Amino acid sequence: MAENLGLMNENEDLKELFRHHIESFDHMVEAGLETMFHAIKPFSRRRFLTSISLWLENPKLYKPQRDSKRMGKLLLPFECRQAKISYTGKFSADVCFQYSEGAVIRENFDFGQFPVMLQSKLCNLRGASPQKLVSCREESSEMGGYFILNGLERVVRLVISPKRNYPMSMVRNSFRERREGYTDKAVVIRCVRKDQSSVSLRVYYLRNGSARLGFWIKGKEYLLPVGVVLKALIDTTDREIYTSLTCCYSDKHEKEKGAVGTQLVGERAQIILDEVRDLSLLTRRQCLEHIGEHFQTVMDGLENESYSSVAGAVLKDYIFVHLDNNYDKFNLLIFMVQKLFSLIDQTSVPDNPDSLQNQEVLLPGHLITIYLKEKLEDWLHKAIKLIQDEINNKSKTFDFCNVGHVKKVMDKNPARIIAQAVENMLKTGRLATQSGLDLQQRAGFTVQAERLNYLRFLSHFRAVHRGASFAGLRTTSVRKLLPESWGFLCPVHTPDGEPCGLLNHMACTCRITSYFDSQGNIRDFFDIQKTILSVLIEVGMSPALPKLVQAGPPEVLSVLLDGRVVGSLPSSEIEKVVAHLRTLKVSSASGIPDDLEVGYVPLSMGGAYPGLYLFTSPARFVRPVRNISTPSVEGQDIELIGPFEQVFMEIRCPDGGDGGRRKAFPATHEEIHPTGMLSVVANLTPWSDHNQSPRNMYQCQMAKQTMAFSSQSIQFRADQKLYHLQTPQSPIVRTTAYTKYNIDEYPTGTNAIVAVLAYTGYDMEDAMILNKSSVDRGMCHGQIYQTETIDLSDKSSKSNQDSQIFRRSNINTPVDVKKNPNKLVHSLIDSDGLPYVGQMIQPDDPYCSIYNESKCKIRYFRRKGSEPAVVDYVALDVKGKNNNPIQKVNIRFRQPRNPVIGDKFSSRHGQKGVCSQLWPDIDMPFSGVTGMRPDLIINPHAFPSRMTIAMLLESIAAKGGSLHGKYVDATPFASSAKKANGDTESNPSSLVDDLGKMLREKGFNYHGLEVLYSGVYGTELACEIFIGPVYYQRLRHMVSDKFQVRSTGTVDQVTRQPIKGRKRGGGIRFGEMERDSMLAHGAAYLLHDRLHTCSDYHIADVCSLCGSILTTSVVQPPVCRKIGGLPPIARRKVTCHFCQSSKGMETVAMPYVFRYLTAELAAMNIKMTLQLSNGAGA
Amino acid sequence: MESKSYQRFPKVKIREMKDDYLKFELKETDASMANALRRVMIAEVPTVAIDLVEIEVNSSVLNDEFIAHRLGLIPLTSDRAMSMRFSRDCDACDGDGQCEFCSVEFHLRAKCHSDQTLDVTSKELISSDHTVVPVDFSDSTGYESTEQKGIIIVKLRRGQELRLRAIARKGIGKDHAKWSPAATVTFMYEPDIRINEELMDTLTLEEKRSWVESSPTKVFDIDPNTHQVVVVDPEAYTYDDEVIKKAEAMGKPGLVDITAKEDSFIFTVESTGAIKASQLLLNAIEVLKQKLDAVRLSDDTVEADDQFGELGAHLRGG
Repeated sequence: MAENLGLMNENEDLKELFRHHIESFDHMVEAGLETMFHAIKPFSRRRFLTSISLWLENPKLYKPQRDSKRMGKLLLPFECRQAKISYTGKFSADVCFQYSEGAVIRENFDFGQFPVMLQSKLCNLRGASPQKLVSCREESSEMGGYFILNGLERVVRLVISPKRNYPMSMVRNSFRERREGYTDKAVVIRCVRKDQSSVSLRVYYLRNGSARLGFWIKGKEYLLPVGVVLKALIDTTDREIYTSLTCCYSDKHEKEKGAVGTQLVGERAQIILDEVRDLSLLTRRQCLEHIGEHFQTVMDGLENESYSSVAGAVLKDYIFVHLDNNYDKFNLLIFMVQKLFSLIDQTSVPDNPDSLQNQEVLLPGHLITIYLKEKLEDWLHKAIKLIQDEINNKSKTFDFCNVGHVKKVMDKNPARIIAQAVENMLKTGRLATQSGLDLQQRAGFTVQAERLNYLRFLSHFRAVHRGASFAGLRTTSVRKLLPESWGFLCPVHTPDGEPCGLLNHMACTCRITSYFDSQGNIRDFFDIQKTILSVLIEVGMSPALPKLVQAGPPEVLSVLLDGRVVGSLPSSEIEKVVAHLRTLKVSSASGIPDDLEVGYVPLSMGGAYPGLYLFTSPARFVRPVRNISTPSVEGQDIELIGPFEQVFMEIRCPDGGDGGRRKAFPATHEEIHPTGMLSVVANLTPWSDHNQSPRNMYQCQMAKQTMAFSSQSIQFRADQKLYHLQTPQSPIVRTTAYTKYNIDEYPTGTNAIVAVLAYTGYDMEDAMILNKSSVDRGMCHGQIYQTETIDLSDKSSKSNQDSQIFRRSNINTPVDVKKNPNKLVHSLIDSDGLPYVGQMIQPDDPYCSIYNESKCKIRYFRRKGSEPAVVDYVALDVKGKNNNPIQKVNIRFRQPRNPVIGDKFSSRHGQKGVCSQLWPDIDMPFSGVTGMRPDLIINPHAFPSRMTIAMLLESIAAKGGSLHGKYVDATPFASSAKKANGDTESNPSSLVDDLGKMLREKGFNYHGLEVLYSGVYGTELACEIFIGPVYYQRLRHMVSDKFQVRSTGTVDQVTRQPIKGRKRGGGIRFGEMERDSMLAHGAAYLLHDRLHTCSDYHIADVCSLCGSILTTSVVQPPVCRKIGGLPPIARRKVTCHFCQSSKGMETVAMPYVFRYLTAELAAMNIKMTLQLSNGAGA
Repeated sequence: MESKSYQRFPKVKIREMKDDYLKFELKETDASMANALRRVMIAEVPTVAIDLVEIEVNSSVLNDEFIAHRLGLIPLTSDRAMSMRFSRDCDACDGDGQCEFCSVEFHLRAKCHSDQTLDVTSKELISSDHTVVPVDFSDSTGYESTEQKGIIIVKLRRGQELRLRAIARKGIGKDHAKWSPAATVTFMYEPDIRINEELMDTLTLEEKRSWVESSPTKVFDIDPNTHQVVVVDPEAYTYDDEVIKKAEAMGKPGLVDITAKEDSFIFTVESTGAIKASQLLLNAIEVLKQKLDAVRLSDDTVEADDQFGELGAHLRGG
């Protein structure tokens, strides 16, 4: 048991990488749905004196069960993968009806099968020990975090969204186009409700000095004068609004550091108030009625309400939805207007929406919650409409209190579509929504979690996408690597090419805040905010309520807690307060969460708008750093910081230097280890600090396309395609990340003895020579597993309505009568119609036979492709009743894929190459001392321009390590980190010295060079050769999947030209540019051969009289009498229909498309005539 | 054509001989000869290895090909290999029968009945021919020899079973590495080390010591009594030129002169156990002779004579 516990802890670091997915789903299950249900307003319809209301209560999600009807056995994920079904649990809720203030009728509705995330609280694997997991046919380190839908594993992609509840000043040209008089400047806030649904709000600046509040209802933007909203929110006076708006300006502090207001603010405030007066709106009531009048048509279900209640609903549902209190809303609007004015007056700079500072992330649980909310609202909307229709139509028979009747009506609006909609969303990643849910994109929210290898699988959970809308953008500014993302997003791990910079990966220590605290309890944000408030008031904050403090920067700074203006702090005090908050953060007993973001923006001359912004919300990025400013108890100095606060913090990096901060800005924090800024995959590159940076990027990409040990439970999986390395090894040279994340459970390569020399010429241009004997002995051997699922009950395809069963024909027919008459079907297919396990299946051979009972016909499934495969496994779905024939099978094939010429390999340093020869062992150079022959030869030219020094270091280190029989640690930046720990090493021994010494001790050359002898001649090679073990990965790109050859073959029906496409045996296009080069070479015959003879060569009959090729036709030759056993002489006779003669018939060679062209032209009433002439006479 | 004889009489001096290890000197010949011997030992001395596997039951974790590949790599005692026929040349059978001239049949039956993992090893391969069996690696000298188990093929857990028939055939390492009898064959030129004593005497003891230590292998040493640099083990020299570079760095070029003797080689042969290392050498010479015979006796040798010129005569032992 202790051992078991040990393994659990070992996986703890790995678990951390997946945690944000699982926690967000867990929260949705535990509390999120409940909150969301409360947030859905009861739908009510009023008609005359009666009213109906409809609302939802008591959501319940169940664990996945094998049979949805009987509560019985638990459904396990592996079953779903194999049976290609979804891992879902029942979702039910109470629908409440109330009819004219009568009694509430509660009825439990089944909302269908809801997708369940693996390892979430609903998952049947939750909390299982590695042994238990293995017995459930999972990986021993199954981390979950994804869904299984139709047997496919899909993971919700993390998408960047603007930071919630933070007013951001922005400059955008599109703002100008709102309406006449608008400028390009605005302050934008994305307000998020408790149920995670959000509403974005903008305060635009107008050229006349006024401001407008813009918000979206159902895809349309509505603009309100700020003054009207301010007045409508609370009972206030013009004077109060004026002083509130102008408080940030005072003559004393003008031009002082940190002053944000100018004297123009007063004038603008005047304009804002004048606008309201011009509309003759003087009181709050008038303002509300003004708003209500305009919005009545827009707001659903409020058609019969009074104007002021409509306005109340608008203010509640669309304006600052994260705040409940109108006073808070008022204060926040004042704050935003001040920030806007400061942006206009250039006393502060706009916030960068592309910077991580102003971003957070969309989590799976949150996405599902908001999508579900909309779907439920739609459903309720439809339901109430149906009921109302029913009442209107036959009000006599319909009895509302009769549950049966109501249910019958509701059947027209089935509740099961709700969970179905969620499942479809996760399956396709597409949101089927009208409103857009305040999200930037509609599609691409989920991706398949490919298990090509473990690193790729893992990266899917760490990837953060900037948003699909940015992919098409022409500007590259969004793709830039900004300093703000230091420590949160990995600078190395981003793909090359199209998604470069948009698809980032979280650094390995980066986490995402959630609703759960470190003890696993759901946080009570109300309590947390109260605690923070009391702490703030203790240290001298003057609270905003009941009365706003009439001052502004630089005297006092506003304090915003999760987008609520809670008060202000004197600027002299603020640094102390921040330090105090940080100490409280670190100590666990304070009640202040450890991931509170203390975003203190200091006063500056025209910098970012100052203030103290506190965030407790979930979905923020956080990362741990060491707090060194306060001496604290051991182990309590790790502070979680966010990207917003990080920008204004002094964090020391252990690089030996002071980062240029000298004594003026002492460091208050310290990085834990420099490798924390790299992603998990980037952390696996040994000594990546010695490589040229793009090489590390290439390695991150290639590590994810390595054919590796993809899964330990291959036996129980039915993936369409799975790559598997037969003899993987653990690398000798390894970083600490290998141990930390148990990468050795899923190794990706082989320690190959690599010699760097130009030996035969077969290693030019990144080609590499493999030793044939090494390959014979099993180096880089691998397999591809392919699963074919045959489902006979699937009636949708091919309109197959007949009942079919798996059965083989009793007559043992040959597989292919022409090619191979001796091979019989019974040798491939067993009597049950399925293949023998272990049987080799050649291309085009049948492997499965199906009997159509109504047509009495046998149909075969034939193997596609060009390579033989072995039947690895046949799985039957025996779900049906016992006497029912089997309808669904999985047949898994195994294709051996041992290295051949043309396969791709790479080291861990972005040095990829293609195998150009399998060179005989005896011809390889050998070492005179040890007799070693290299497994692999690469060319020295691979190094100078690429500067992958770490690869050379790896080679030396691995050589030393294998001689000493131990692993070598190759963690990047290790030397600088060591220094920071206070290890005062007197001799600054370099890395190479350490490694060289290891070699020397064992009698090897210090620099890793060896004298080699030519394998062919037995003579010493002219120079010493650098040789040593390097960890090589085999990439999944293999020639057998890519080669394309064709001599003759299928042609296009219309043009008679060769078709394209590798799968269909087509050719490769010989295009215009190729044609040009042939012309330039004067290779006319070759050109004629390629483009005519080998393409659509055609001999046409042309009538030289009328010049037509379409009117000619072959006349049926008259039946000749056989003369004495000789074959009949069939003379082709061609006549022209137009000329009614066969006199002028000539044969002309031409491309067939030419005939097609004339036919097409003829169809358009254009006649083409040919003038024939003798070749010589032309 | 002048009938000058190029015949040489190479000498072999055996230094060390164990079953699977052989160290000898080859003298009075040149690199082509030495290398030919090396190449033949690695790639052309025939052995017997499992080549055809018929799997009856395999419920182990490894797939059929994997097991077949592993079986192929198990060295089998192949003393008889020289006299066996290649199955492609065998006229007594069609290559896969139980023909005593070209193939040996093996059977393996293993099933795990206990909760402990069962190691299926090469010991469990039952041969039809007692002269061709998996190589026994147990150390005859005694210690821990009872624990020797052979080469692990696969591990089985409760209920898993492996049952197969395998046919071993004669083959050479050129076709597949599994037929290679040599684990390592290497040779080095015997070095000729001459220390310039005069120049050496100009060095201080400290300098001598650092010079001696500049070689990663222990070639030189300092006589504790006379403080003179002596060559302890010339063969430890790896031609890495470290000492020469060191001497140059010390400003004393020509301190030592090291040349390789062109006609003297020190061979190290390690066998996989399929045949004894000494037998490997003899077989290699035999194969080499056969190859030369093939050249000499072939019909177009006479024509080739004109092409090869003197070499033709040489080949025919002229």
